[in-house]
Amino acid sequence: MTSPGPKSEPRRTGSLRPVELAHAAVMAALCAAIAIIAVVVPFAAGLSLLGTVPMGLLAYRYRLRVLITATVAGGIIAFLIAGMGGLMTVVNCAYIGGLTGIVKRRGRGTTTVVAAALVAGALFGLAIVAALAVLARLRHLIFESVTANVAGVAAILERIPNMQGAAERLTRDFGTVLDYWPVLFFLAGVFSITWVSLVGWWALSKVLARLLGVPDVHKLEPSADTGPVVPVPLQLRDVVFRYPGTDRDALGPLSLDVQPGEHVAVTGPNGSGKTTLMLVLSGREPTSGTVQRPGAVGLGKLGGTAVVLQHPESQVLGTRVADDVVWGLPPGVTIEVDRLLAEVGLDGFSERDTGGLSGGELQRLAVAGALAREPSLLIADEVTSMVDQDGRDAVMSVLSGLTRNHRTSLVHITHYNNEAEAADRTVNLTGRGIADNTADVPMVEKADVHPATAGDDAPRGAPVLELNGVSHEYGLGTPWAQTALRDIDFAVHEGDGVLIHGLNGSGKSTLAWIMAGLLEPASGSCLLDGRPVSDQVGAVAISFQAARLQLMRSHVALEIASTAGFSMYDQAKVTEALRTVGLEPTLASRRIEQLSGGQMRRVVLAGLLARKPRALILDEPLAGLDGASQQGLLQLLVDLRRRERLTVVVISHDFAGLEELCPRILHLENGVLAATPTAAGGMS
Amino acid sequence: MSERKPRKQVVLLRPVPGTSVIHELWAGTKLLVVALIGVLLTFYPGWVPIGAVALLIAVAAMLARIPRGVLPTIPRVLWVLLALGALTAALGGGSPVLSLGSVDVGLGGLLYFLRVTALSIVLLGLGAMVSWTTNVAEVAPAVATLGRPLRALRIPVADWAVALALALRAFPMLLDEFRVLYAARRLRPRDVDGDRRNRLRRWATELIDLLAAAITVALRRADEMGDAITARGGAGQFSAAPSRPKTRDWVAFAVVVAVCGTALALELTILGTSGTRR
Repeated sequence: MTSPGPKSEPRRTGSLRPVELAHAAVMAALCAAIAIIAVVVPFAAGLSLLGTVPMGLLAYRYRLRVLITATVAGGIIAFLIAGMGGLMTVVNCAYIGGLTGIVKRRGRGTTTVVAAALVAGALFGLAIVAALAVLARLRHLIFESVTANVAGVAAILERIPNMQGAAERLTRDFGTVLDYWPVLFFLAGVFSITWVSLVGWWALSKVLARLLGVPDVHKLEPSADTGPVVPVPLQLRDVVFRYPGTDRDALGPLSLDVQPGEHVAVTGPNGSGKTTLMLVLSGREPTSGTVQRPGAVGLGKLGGTAVVLQHPESQVLGTRVADDVVWGLPPGVTIEVDRLLAEVGLDGFSERDTGGLSGGELQRLAVAGALAREPSLLIADEVTSMVDQDGRDAVMSVLSGLTRNHRTSLVHITHYNNEAEAADRTVNLTGRGIADNTADVPMVEKADVHPATAGDDAPRGAPVLELNGVSHEYGLGTPWAQTALRDIDFAVHEGDGVLIHGLNGSGKSTLAWIMAGLLEPASGSCLLDGRPVSDQVGAVAISFQAARLQLMRSHVALEIASTAGFSMYDQAKVTEALRTVGLEPTLASRRIEQLSGGQMRRVVLAGLLARKPRALILDEPLAGLDGASQQGLLQLLVDLRRRERLTVVVISHDFAGLEELCPRILHLENGVLAATPTAAGGMS
Repeated sequence: MSERKPRKQVVLLRPVPGTSVIHELWAGTKLLVVALIGVLLTFYPGWVPIGAVALLIAVAAMLARIPRGVLPTIPRVLWVLLALGALTAALGGGSPVLSLGSVDVGLGGLLYFLRVTALSIVLLGLGAMVSWTTNVAEVAPAVATLGRPLRALRIPVADWAVALALALRAFPMLLDEFRVLYAARRLRPRDVDGDRRNRLRRWATELIDLLAAAITVALRRADEMGDAITARGGAGQFSAAPSRPKTRDWVAFAVVVAVCGTALALELTILGTSGTRR
């Protein structure tokens, strides 16, 4: 765990480092999004105050150059969508965010902020006055137009009895004010900047306090070694790695050789140091032991070491497929993009947007990006764990062909036993340095594809959710209209366990949103107990894939009380809710950021279930969890369904282990239910 | 189901499907044209320049075959505000005065109001035309090319362009996350705690909660993106296709300069409407 505090390393000069670049880009996007909403949505202008926080955070953590870069990037995006107003909002957010962030970094208090804001406000006011002085014609136009409006209001007032005096005063005073416009605009500038700075300061302080303990998931370090790039053959001797600030070894002692052209699989339970091994292989210095290479690691360099990581979405950097393949190559290097894409089975994708690709396609694209560097060593770290069945097979066939077609050594880290079989050699990490409770986690076997079944272990109750001819189209009436769902008919009964299975883009998430009442279908109806579910938002609980987005309060007890709708002081209820999902009552006082991924999911469930929902929808409940957490969560859900006759709908691209929880499976393909299951209880 | 017409969804950063001369213009040309026209209109917001730019936009929209469906639904509040503004401005009077029989109507105020409105619409339309016809992937390379002269001043244009490309990549992902955040909030029941007297404080806490969740997710995304950049050995190329103007770009630019130049000349000589003399 690290605090999001200022990075303590010496001030750097020169081009942005990868981390700085990424943070500048993401915060720029965040600020631009806030600015656009503030400009475009009527009466949301106050939201722009919040845009100062991401910029303030950047100024707090990094050098000024990062903030300026983010301002340019965010400003251009806001300009493209919301025009001049968007651009000016982003610039203002950066101006004030920068001020508050730098004051925060220097450890100063509110007094300093007020003083700095007064100076900054004066400068801003002067800039506005200067601009209006230069733009005389625009100023004249705006002033005349507003004068006309005021004169019109005065004319109306004059007809109201006893208001003549007021009308006269209005016209006269407004004229006077306009005569002194430079003073007016200067004071307005000082006042608004000071006020916004204070609000921004308050918000930044609050958010920073909340962010204490947000884990830094940033792992890779740019390789520092120089000289010719030759990462293999690689020899690890008695390598031990311990993260700074921890008291146990994350890896080792381990000895391992990687020869040129070799395919090595690394398996082991969670916590055995698989990812740590990836870090050591890609150039991190071990705590003890030796790593021998003939030359430099060359992470991401031509002929060096390439890494493909776990999350498909976040390692793709280009907006278009071809751009992503060349991303980061040194200027002047040309490669055959189409040949590389063909090799990973993405022929003809080069002009496609990366936003529309499935997880499997994204991972193969990442492999193509790695191959563009003709790496001597390719490390694949759990690359299939977030990919659906078809995607996995495709990625695996690309990976296993690599060592044949290239002079590349492949180290494939996986927690699937059957994926390790393709390797020349398997290294099993025993995980000596790990905590006891996770030591005996069995490896995950992938489930085979099940046919659509309708068998059920319990008699059907009354229908809870009924979908009649539900269709949905995004962007209806615009040129971007896109059909997501067509003529969906089915019912979910009391105590049912239904799996809605579909690949990326099949419309399954849209269906989940409609069933939760968050989206009104374009046609057809989705009824909960006979009434439209969109009129009863909250009656059907939904647990999103990104559990973190669903946890809004700072502490577990607060969070559960808020989701469930009871008082946070009602300890008994909080404890009961935690117990329902198999969590210790002591967790109640824990901060949200200190929870593991599996615990976050459970806390979300605790809050949702405490509200006694009519049905529970789970969107990809197992994604991103390790084997042990997956099994624990599944067992919990199965128990809940049995014991409490909870109605469960699972949305997933995978079948693994879900058959017990969801005896009934519906296949969704391109927005249509594939085969109508013939249920024993009959469909309504 | 319901009688009311549903509001159209706003689609961001996606060009109108299909291709046309306007779609195929270099993104840098479009950005330059927008900048040029923006400067012209802020310095000389007269009827002639506004009309000339409106004409350019209309022709471009026709060439790009922009359908009417791209226009977002305008909320009724905005119409009401516009009508109110027009009414008060019309009552404000001023020269020129139109004589209808025995009644003299001062049109000056109304004309000023209409000019401000037309200016805003034209500026919005200008930006919209760029969004509707440009693939976002082309924007950052164009900025890099356009900004190349600034490198001589030691301005880190390359960093800016890369950050812009990455921000455009992260933007839709963040919007999706906002959507989930908003939905998750809708699912919650009303808070039972918190004193009713201090509604402002509760509202503020809520806002900080939302912001903290959004920033946590953004930080995570940024960390992962940083790893991905490191895995590629740092920033370098970010576009597979070369980004530079072609013949048609010079033609388009010449047309825009000619039209704007003529409008400016007219504004400054015989048809001036933006002068500052009362």
